[in-house]
Amino acid sequence: MADTTKSTTKKKNSVPATRAADSATPLLALDDVTLRLPDGAAARPILDGVSLRVERGETIGLVGESGSGKSVACRTVLGLLPKNARTTGEVRVEGTDVLTAGPAGLRDLRRNKVSMVFQDPRASVNPMRRVGDFLTEGLRLGGMSKKDALARAEELLTEVGIRDPKGALRRFPHEFSGGMLQRVVIAAALTSDPALLLADEPTTALDVTTQAEVVGILRRLQATHGTGMLFVTHDLELAAAICDRIYVMYAGRIVESRPAAELFARPRHPYTAALLASTPRLEEGAEPPTAISGRPVSLAEAPTGCAFADRCAFAVDRCRTEKPALVEDGTGAAACLRVEEGILA
Amino acid sequence: MNRNLLRFLAGRVVGMVLVLFATSFVVFSAVHLAPGDPVTFLMRGRPITPESRAVLTAQYHLDQPFLKQYFLWLGDVLSGDFGRSVQFHQDISTMITDKLPTTLFLVVYAMVIIAVLGLALGILSALRPGLIDKIVLVWTGMAVAIPSYIAAIVLLSIFSVKLGWFPIYGAGEGFSDMLWHLTLPAFALALMFAGLLARVTRASMLDELSREHVEVARARGVPEGQVIRKHVLRNALGPIVTVVGTMVASMLVATSIVETAFSVQGVGSLLIKSVTAKDFPVVQAVTLLVVAVFMIANLIVDLLQPLIDPRVALGGDQK
Ligand SMILES: Nc1ncnc2c1ncn2[C@@H]1O[C@H](COP(=O)(O)OP(=O)(O)OP(=O)(O)O)[C@@H](O)[C@H]1O
Ligand SMILES: [Mg+2]
Repeated sequence: MADTTKSTTKKKNSVPATRAADSATPLLALDDVTLRLPDGAAARPILDGVSLRVERGETIGLVGESGSGKSVACRTVLGLLPKNARTTGEVRVEGTDVLTAGPAGLRDLRRNKVSMVFQDPRASVNPMRRVGDFLTEGLRLGGMSKKDALARAEELLTEVGIRDPKGALRRFPHEFSGGMLQRVVIAAALTSDPALLLADEPTTALDVTTQAEVVGILRRLQATHGTGMLFVTHDLELAAAICDRIYVMYAGRIVESRPAAELFARPRHPYTAALLASTPRLEEGAEPPTAISGRPVSLAEAPTGCAFADRCAFAVDRCRTEKPALVEDGTGAAACLRVEEGILA
Repeated sequence: MNRNLLRFLAGRVVGMVLVLFATSFVVFSAVHLAPGDPVTFLMRGRPITPESRAVLTAQYHLDQPFLKQYFLWLGDVLSGDFGRSVQFHQDISTMITDKLPTTLFLVVYAMVIIAVLGLALGILSALRPGLIDKIVLVWTGMAVAIPSYIAAIVLLSIFSVKLGWFPIYGAGEGFSDMLWHLTLPAFALALMFAGLLARVTRASMLDELSREHVEVARARGVPEGQVIRKHVLRNALGPIVTVVGTMVASMLVATSIVETAFSVQGVGSLLIKSVTAKDFPVVQAVTLLVVAVFMIANLIVDLLQPLIDPRVALGGDQK
């Protein structure tokens, strides 16, 4: 308990200084992160050489089909690894490596620096405890008095647009709609005033109008609190609308990264192009969406070369045997052997 | 909320009264359903003197029509008069109130053992899959299969006969002496139920451990101990309370075996003696008592459930 209070007080005094002084170190940096799970004799790879950056105050998108490893990547940032997972590479939050951090370091990271918003608000809040308990749990861990914690929670509920925030604290999760509960979850994620917010498909479980509201709230709060955000989604169009830069993930690897507008306008990787073509567009005269043929593969069942080769319209023989590296180009990077050939032009 | 509670309680009390009413009717008419003269049935095997016939006729109002007999008997029962034991020639209410404290002591003692042992082992095996988990599974499998009288004999032969740590029979006088006398009976009574509780606790905990909100709590830096207490165990309480509730009445019945094995003079051994001696009025009284306890325990469980899970409405519907 003693080290907890110490770390919070330390944080309180040094945060502005740290944020200003260490502007050179990125807020979040994943460097060549590989994660394997033991599956019988051979270890099953889940992430393979993932590198990713989030700067302070920035919104970074992480898109990809189901099972591509987006959630695992997010959890890795919090040091929440599946049992028996083996990792290589580095995950640095404000310069401190998460993968080698001890229990105290992880606790400080989770309580003070990074918060996560999960997909389904119904599942992420304990249904048997009051919303007030949920909101104040983190603050109370930091040693705040119950009264102060409740006052702070009330403030945040007002910020996320919950009517009658005082009454809301006394209510139970099942008395809220999905959208309202996701607002509560967002408020809870912001109680510690984190430098980084991991949003793992925060709107997927909500209906369309509520989605827009929740995204709006996230954007506003992120701007006012100066929080960096890693925004995970299936929805490229949404990612393009709110993110500064987007990483596209396929079967545990980053296949392309680029500023949002650029990625949307001129994708270089066939997978990104296929993903874009499969996203319904709203503007007039847009092509109808075409689904990507085949089903997404996991890294374990992918061919030795490019994991997308079997579904790619441009694949040639060497795509199946030769693993493409993520090569920098003018605006970003793409991992495709034929990217130079201008196949998508 | 309070109005709901009152309405719920009123409904349940009416229900309980109806069930007790029906039970009392079945229990009463059993005497008359038996073939032959009720007096012969009630005196089973004992010589019937004109005096005893007169006493029984008066006590059971045998000279009245059937339904009238029943209501007269019910009136007596409601005023606390269960009649006299055929076997012991004593007032049944007095006999039961004399023996009840011993049996209650035994049941509460066993409950404490069940709660401590069952919860501890259930929690341990849910949190530490592996050796402890296996031991608990094997033991609970055995405990559920081994009836309490075997447990009683084994405990007696080891701890009383061989080691001499505990007395062989009797209930003792005063708190500490009773504690000493009733330790083995309480364990004999508790072992099976503790096994059951351990299993239920384990299953319920495992169920809750896999919930996403548990992961969310960890992701917020909540220490593991607090995650287990405030999220996992807290949420797993529903099934635990339900199973403990159903145990109360079963334990009351199971005391008959354990009390007999340890020669403890309680309500349970009284039931066995009365059944073997066909002392029907006593069996009637104890049966009604067990049914009443069963219903009260159920009512308490139902009242607790909404406090545990706010989504459960009074009466058990999920909102
Ligand atoms: N705890 C775990 N144990 C074993 N395998 C896991 C675990 N978590 C994830 N995986 C595997 O890792 C891979 C990536 O899963 P992940 O949940 O990160 O995908 P995702 O991109 O978030 O998909 P979705 O869009 O459906 O959420 C999947 O093949 C999944 O089966
Ligand atoms: Mg996911």
